[in-house]
Amino acid sequence: MGFTRINGKLVEARVVPGQRLFSQRGAMIAYTGDVRFTPNITGGQGGVMSMIGRRVANEDTPLMTVEGHGRVMFGHGGHHVQVIDLVGDTLFVEADRLLAFEGTLRQSTVFLGSQGGVMGMVRGQVSGQGLFTTRLEGHGSVAVMAHGGVFELPITPDRPVHVDPQAYVAHRGEVRNKLSTAIGWREMIGRGSGEAFQLELSGQGAVYVQASEEKL
Amino acid sequence: MLAVELAGDAVKARHGSMVAYTGRMTFKKLTGGGDGLRGMVARRLTGERMTVMEVKGQGTCYFADQATEINLVRLSGEALYVESDNLLCTEAGLHTGTSFTGLNGVSSGNGLFTTKVEGHGWAAVTSNGPAVILRVGKDMPLRVDPGAYLAHTGSLHRSLKSGAGWTTVIGEGGGEAVQIEFTGEGLVYVQPSEKVTIGGDV
Repeated sequence: MGFTRINGKLVEARVVPGQRLFSQRGAMIAYTGDVRFTPNITGGQGGVMSMIGRRVANEDTPLMTVEGHGRVMFGHGGHHVQVIDLVGDTLFVEADRLLAFEGTLRQSTVFLGSQGGVMGMVRGQVSGQGLFTTRLEGHGSVAVMAHGGVFELPITPDRPVHVDPQAYVAHRGEVRNKLSTAIGWREMIGRGSGEAFQLELSGQGAVYVQASEEKL
Repeated sequence: MLAVELAGDAVKARHGSMVAYTGRMTFKKLTGGGDGLRGMVARRLTGERMTVMEVKGQGTCYFADQATEINLVRLSGEALYVESDNLLCTEAGLHTGTSFTGLNGVSSGNGLFTTKVEGHGWAAVTSNGPAVILRVGKDMPLRVDPGAYLAHTGSLHRSLKSGAGWTTVIGEGGGEAVQIEFTGEGLVYVQPSEKVTIGGDV
């Protein structure tokens, strides 16, 4: 299973009986075979409590369940699509960037304030992530959307990475992120370099960065 | 996306175009495009104003702008003429200034002035879609759609050609009424996309 990249903006998924896929509602482009699309009212995995959690957290992008036997192509809004394979690790991504993911992955919503308290909440606001983000863990593939091409930057303990909050797409692994500011007297008098806020990611893992400073 | 390896040296990049970096970097705004006081006044007057920052430090810095493609141009003493909108990043060794393009710039939507980059080093030019480099020889002039023109190098003379006839006047034009003609010897960079220009509508 998994996703096959057709071009930069389309991925194809093979659907086999007994395995489910979740995708953003309306992201199907074409399919062959006997495939059923059912709107997922709860917006993902878990029961009603998870649904309420997502609604409250504003991470409730409409999803649909894809089941059956065949091949389905996904794409949305001409956005670039990046396929990320998870092998037991975790991926943090905004719900509206999720194009499709395999049903074998566990989906949950996390509160950014739990990672760094008040600064975590400030960080979420600055980077446009909001107060909550979606976490996926387990084994399987995820298709993530971005504006422009995506590239992966590895993070190692001795090599932290700084990312423009607007160009941040997702990150995986054991990564701590904090908002670092480079505000000096120049910013105060309106002579900033335009790079006042950066997300500093450190730990072990990788971060995905898009070639644009535009949010989806 | 452009990756620049820095080892204590500096590059000039468009304001706010950094997307990620590793190592230590400092970002400093250069007032008036980084050409000194005279250059700043010239830029203000000509509308080729760009906000440029100087990036200095050790490590790798990544630049990108609005998901556009990036083309690297190697300069060894010659001059590159490029619109300030399309100039993403230059090595610190390159000198930037403004140059007068004449009246033909106005209808091509590029304005009366353009940015001139000269010296030795690399410059990064953005384009909407992968750019094509077209060679202009002595006996083969090149005509380019003003909206698709990006940059040029070499000793080229540019003039505006109009293919407008009576059909254009009555609103039945072919959509290609205005072109820039390049004569001389050099290279012209063209993008597979057209930005909105005055000439583009007719």
